[in-house]
Amino acid sequence: MRNLWLLLQRNAFTLAFIALMAVSLSVLLRNDGAARSSWFQQTGSVSYMIDKQRHGWSNYLRLAEQNAELAEENADLRSRLLSMDLAVEWQEDTVRHWTVRSGMLIKGPDGKPRSSSLATPGRDGGIETGMGVLSGGAAFGTVEEIGEAHCRILTLMHTGTSWSCRIGRLGPVASLGWDGVDMGLLQLRDVPRHVQAQRGDTVFSSGYDLRFPPDVIMGTVFDVERQSGADFMSVTVVPAADFTASRHLEFLVHQADSERTALSSTDLRP
Amino acid sequence: MIVLRLLLLVFLQAFLLRDVSPLGEWTRPEWTLWALLLIPPQASSFLKLGLGFAMGLALDIALGSYGQHMVAGTVLGGLLPAIHRLFAPREGYEVSDHPILRDMGSSWLVGLTFTAALAYHLTLMLVSNWYWHLIPGALLPSLSSAAFTTLCCLVLHLMVYAPDRRKSST
Repeated sequence: MRNLWLLLQRNAFTLAFIALMAVSLSVLLRNDGAARSSWFQQTGSVSYMIDKQRHGWSNYLRLAEQNAELAEENADLRSRLLSMDLAVEWQEDTVRHWTVRSGMLIKGPDGKPRSSSLATPGRDGGIETGMGVLSGGAAFGTVEEIGEAHCRILTLMHTGTSWSCRIGRLGPVASLGWDGVDMGLLQLRDVPRHVQAQRGDTVFSSGYDLRFPPDVIMGTVFDVERQSGADFMSVTVVPAADFTASRHLEFLVHQADSERTALSSTDLRP
Repeated sequence: MIVLRLLLLVFLQAFLLRDVSPLGEWTRPEWTLWALLLIPPQASSFLKLGLGFAMGLALDIALGSYGQHMVAGTVLGGLLPAIHRLFAPREGYEVSDHPILRDMGSSWLVGLTFTAALAYHLTLMLVSNWYWHLIPGALLPSLSSAAFTTLCCLVLHLMVYAPDRRKSST
């Protein structure tokens, strides 16, 4: 304390000068507009420089954190890009012997659990029972019965059938069906509990039921529900085809369909 | 006495000699400086600083200049001890020395007055212009004004402390 007092005494004149200068400058800055604006301009530019420097250091110190954020953002964007790549319409696949024949829907599903749909052409157009039917590149149903010029279609909106699907192109196979309640929602059953699925994931056909080739879009995941103690989870799917407005259909034809049917129906005997 | 002289010169500068400026901004004298320069060199540094501040305050009040003279007066009051030391004779100031022509000689008087006037005018110029780009243009007028202030102070000095008085007194 004594040393401080001695220091103050030794520099009393300088301190007095500084104090009087502070008083004078404060009076000047308070009353002189030009002085005030110049002062703020100078101090503003100085504080901007200081703040910029501080911001630079702060950014440098936060580099690891920002890097992690960018990596996370990158992963999210890659995931979205992959989903966009997956969600494409099914195209004619001549390499794997799938071709299409066009048709027209005459009567669509009406929301009743077991209603059938009618379409043209029939047998005269080369349509056969068991063919897969697409609408806008997405799965619509399968040909159940054929007439000369018409055919009856069992759509996805029918409670009496199920479709072999998987979540994503490489997910485990599960069974897609309709519970007859809400026309806008299908149910994917027998999905193992460990499967990673979330809203927006695309559901593709597996190709195992021979009606559709693999990777035809069936719909997108709407909701995933894991019940405690259950081995499987229930997944609700929004169909990709619009059953209320579909008009033009594509009938899927496999060039070796008779052979596939024969082989799949033959009992193997050792 | 010093304070009375200071107030009188503030009054004169503010109300009578305000417009005495033959060449406009090139010759703008600060008459009041003479009162500050008449403080004896041996006086306390605090007295010089305080009177410098008081002179600026009085001028600001009288001229309505809102702090410019206060800053310049404080700077001059703070520098005055150093200026006195700078112009001090080799053997130092005598106790009886007064800052007048008779005691200190003409070169001391002119040099000290011009240095003090220069410090005052340069500070005044800085706080009047503020912006860096305006300062080069105001530098020469402040130099010439400092010279003119020196001239005015010397005229006052000669009027009050005329050399022939010394002869008559001796």
